Amino acid sequence: METKSKILIIDDEEVVLDSCAQILKGSDYQLATATDGTSGLALVKQYQPDLIFIDLKMPGISGFEVLEKIHEIDSTIVAVVITGFATVSSAVDAMKAGAYDFLPKPFTPDEFRMITHRGIERRKLVLETIALRREKDMLREQFASIVSHELKAPLGAVQQNLFALEFDLSDLLNEEQKGKIGRIKIRIDELLQMINSWLRVISVDINKLKDGFVQLPISTPISKALESVASLAARKNIEITSELGENLHPILGDSLSLSEVFINILGNSIKYSSDGTRVVIKAEEHGNIISVSIKDSGIGISQEDLPHVFEGFYRGKSGQEAASGYGIGLAVARQIVEAHAGSIAVESEVGQGTTFIVNLPVAAA
Amino acid sequence: MTKKILMIDDDPDFVSGIKAILDKAGFEVEVTYNPKDGLQALQTKQYDLLLLDIMMGRGAEGIMIARKLRKDAKLREMPVLIITGMREQIAFLFPGEPVHPRFVEVDELVEKPVEPKLLLEKVDSLIKAAEAKKAGK
Repeated sequence: METKSKILIIDDEEVVLDSCAQILKGSDYQLATATDGTSGLALVKQYQPDLIFIDLKMPGISGFEVLEKIHEIDSTIVAVVITGFATVSSAVDAMKAGAYDFLPKPFTPDEFRMITHRGIERRKLVLETIALRREKDMLREQFASIVSHELKAPLGAVQQNLFALEFDLSDLLNEEQKGKIGRIKIRIDELLQMINSWLRVISVDINKLKDGFVQLPISTPISKALESVASLAARKNIEITSELGENLHPILGDSLSLSEVFINILGNSIKYSSDGTRVVIKAEEHGNIISVSIKDSGIGISQEDLPHVFEGFYRGKSGQEAASGYGIGLAVARQIVEAHAGSIAVESEVGQGTTFIVNLPVAAA
Repeated sequence: MTKKILMIDDDPDFVSGIKAILDKAGFEVEVTYNPKDGLQALQTKQYDLLLLDIMMGRGAEGIMIARKLRKDAKLREMPVLIITGMREQIAFLFPGEPVHPRFVEVDELVEKPVEPKLLLEKVDSLIKAAEAKKAGK
């Protein structure tokens, strides 16, 4: 059963309270009354009304003060001021102070009913808006786990059964059949990787990373990234060489998310490279900046596309269609690097290759 | 002697893909599809290894099992292979702890889906590690 909407009227004139009660009699509202601001405010806390009528001119604390206090207690309560001296200015002042509407004395039963109805509707709307907003936030928070369960779980199950099938049939399959299974596995794997990238964008509050920053050598996230992309590179017969400068100063950061940056960039470089080519990752120190460059000899990015590569969900218009998009990964990379007070840049020439440069400040001694 | 494995995972399709691999490799695999049945099986029967899914039902219900195992003097000695779809989520559930949570003394974590070779390697090494630990006592 829906609970009845609650109305509180605060007015020092008993006759007003009585007539209001009379008007609302038999309607679907619950009514409480108070004859001064102090007892009215006590009722606000205890009775938790949806709608409050306040007389602006009362002995004791003023209607304005009551209005202010009500909003301190619960800003979602709808307040309507009753103005005995029907001046527009006091009504306007009250509305500036947060009143939803005003009711000039004397008023007819119909006027009172109408404004009550509107006030109650308003309160419902306010509460609904809050509920919706909260739901939206919750959805966003839960989106990560929803996506994970709804998309990742079925794909994972598909892949797992494929693994089992291949394992079971390993003695029976000919090369061509093995090749086909291999293709399916790779495509599913790519899908899973993509979902993982999305998840990371949605679920990680990148600014919160800063709380966990520690001093670490740049080689830590780079090695982790190299390990992670090794199988991808091997599949395309791409050799990754790393040239990490000696005695580089440590940086201040989060190892996991930084390795994510290099995984995304390296993954991108590998995807857009032709089989059998080379990718070079280099780390150097210039002044108080650690500069990491990742250079491939792949298809390159056109001048037209270049400014957009870090925008997320952007995939080159020109460029070769064969390689699958990895746009979101670069957007994530940029966000993470920027959270580390660093910068990311890209240089490219179509047909020659692409170089990504990540600059990170060295940790203050 | 044939090694007995209990798998707790709420996704029957995923389970079939794991079970087929373990069956072929000569393990005896029992499956329960929810934490409650899983816990009951653990308390009433003897297994050489537990394969545990983390995200089940309404959330990380696998964690609940892991916590109960940790508290149980006998079950604590059983090796556990955690199979999860979400590594980040684990780190989130145990803030401050490394990505791999040490639920019990002998455990490992792999991500779904898991390649047969890796699965069998982990299962073998966990069972051996647990046996060595027991023999050493």
